[in-house]
Amino acid sequence: MSIYQCPSPNASTNTCDVLKYLIVMLAVLWLISVGTERLGYNWQWYRVPRYIFTFEDGHLAAGPLILGLMVTLQISGISLLLSFAIGLTAALFRLSDSHAARFLARCYLEIIRNTPLMVQLFFIYFVLGPVLGIERFFSAVLALSLFEGAYTSEIFRSGIVSIQKGQWEAAYSLGLGRFDTYRYIIMPQAIRRILPPLTNQGISLIKDSALVSIIAVYDLTMQGQVIIAETFLTFELWFTIAAIYLAVTMTLSVLVNFLENHLSVQV
Amino acid sequence: MIKVPKITLLDVVIMLVVTGILGYIGYRITVGIHYKWNWSAIPQYLFRIDKNNGGWTANLLLQGLFTTIRLSVWATLLATILGTVAGFFRISKSLFKRLLGRTFVELMRNTPPLVLIFIFYFFVSDQIMSFLGVDDFIRNTSERTQSVITFLFAPPRFFSAFISAAITVAIFEAAYITEIVRAGIQSIEKGQFEACNALGLSWRQQMQYVILPQAIQRILPPLAGQFISTIKDSAIVSVISIPELCFQGMELMAATYLTFECWITITVLYLTLTLSLSLAVERLEIFFRRSTA
Repeated sequence: MSIYQCPSPNASTNTCDVLKYLIVMLAVLWLISVGTERLGYNWQWYRVPRYIFTFEDGHLAAGPLILGLMVTLQISGISLLLSFAIGLTAALFRLSDSHAARFLARCYLEIIRNTPLMVQLFFIYFVLGPVLGIERFFSAVLALSLFEGAYTSEIFRSGIVSIQKGQWEAAYSLGLGRFDTYRYIIMPQAIRRILPPLTNQGISLIKDSALVSIIAVYDLTMQGQVIIAETFLTFELWFTIAAIYLAVTMTLSVLVNFLENHLSVQV
Repeated sequence: MIKVPKITLLDVVIMLVVTGILGYIGYRITVGIHYKWNWSAIPQYLFRIDKNNGGWTANLLLQGLFTTIRLSVWATLLATILGTVAGFFRISKSLFKRLLGRTFVELMRNTPPLVLIFIFYFFVSDQIMSFLGVDDFIRNTSERTQSVITFLFAPPRFFSAFISAAITVAIFEAAYITEIVRAGIQSIEKGQFEACNALGLSWRQQMQYVILPQAIQRILPPLAGQFISTIKDSAIVSVISIPELCFQGMELMAATYLTFECWITITVLYLTLTLSLSLAVERLEIFFRRSTA
């Protein structure tokens, strides 16, 4: 089929395509609902809203799912800040002159990046928890921070390395020490370049925070599992929880896009 | 000139702090909580004597390791097929296909893998597996087929759960492979596409003879990295009781209460698996860089 036979895309073919896409999406939803009903699953969507919000004494109260979402956002927020701190330290260690610092950072990165987050969560909760007296919530925060800190450190390191050598040489010739060079010259430029990937880490953290339900921290996923164990509303609740996670991550994605467009650096 | 390593202040500080932390942890383990180390109990969970032929065979932990490897291999194969198709959709001329591809990738990449696994696993194993009658089919095959299936996949009584888990992990990984394939194809210079148009090649001929042979070299290293990532993500299926390495670790800990030894062993096993594969991937990248240079 040569290119002369293909119609070029215009408004009417675009509308056709969008309509075809909507039809396919509706067909998928219909298939899921009809297919599961034929095999015995009874959809009961009307029972779901009471777990999102309830009316108590005339005003709106948050249901278990929203309380779980608050815990998820709490864990993700604290872990994000802690992972920035750990990541920045690890990046600076990897770029330093000291052999011990480089070796330590390298060991940390290789161990954290090559083991699953689940194993790290269990290790910190069952092994380091009793030893250092860390309780459940902070074991989860620590495990998430260490895990994301490894990836954050690579982002920081790539941002710092991307600054031209001329900046370092100018700082040296002005007599600035290493710390002052980082503080006044390098980091302000580097942070502007890596702000979008850093905010992507926030999205990654919200997704990975779902795993803390395995050590029974009452986040959104755990609340969902508890409600499903009581009511067997399996599919309704898992789709609702997925929709809540999607809403949060898509909002953050929009924020990341906004940052990318408005803080873009002309290199 | 021999380079003498310079000891800086940071070196000294770090060595003191690390020694201090290790010392404190050691003190807390022995004096604080009186943990009794029992490393001698671990090897029996790695290997055991087979009653039939008297040789060493794998026990719990190594069986879990092999299940992890099988699960990751099958999931990556399925995900590569699905991801390549979705990758072609993402860069298609048709807006319809582009919308479908984008929806798939964004949905899979923005939901937590744990939630996706619960949704897909229940759906695939309850609805699709019983619809296809996989369990009955496996039970009715011969002894020899069952031993082949056990080696490639899982023992017949776990077969349906294993396949459901593999499909679930594959759907989730396919979203990342879609982006790898898309980036690989889009990295081919536009001149190649224009030359194919000028020669009058159809889309299939263009992909088969010109674009894919070049794109595959750029796609393989990230794809291998994604395989290593799949090994780590396969740990999540332990929440649905697939007997892979992390699940066996939890069982071991519940049975023996040797928490420290158990989790240190599991971590070391995962590290050996992924670090050796990472080295192999580095060799692969060097080989490709040499052959294109």
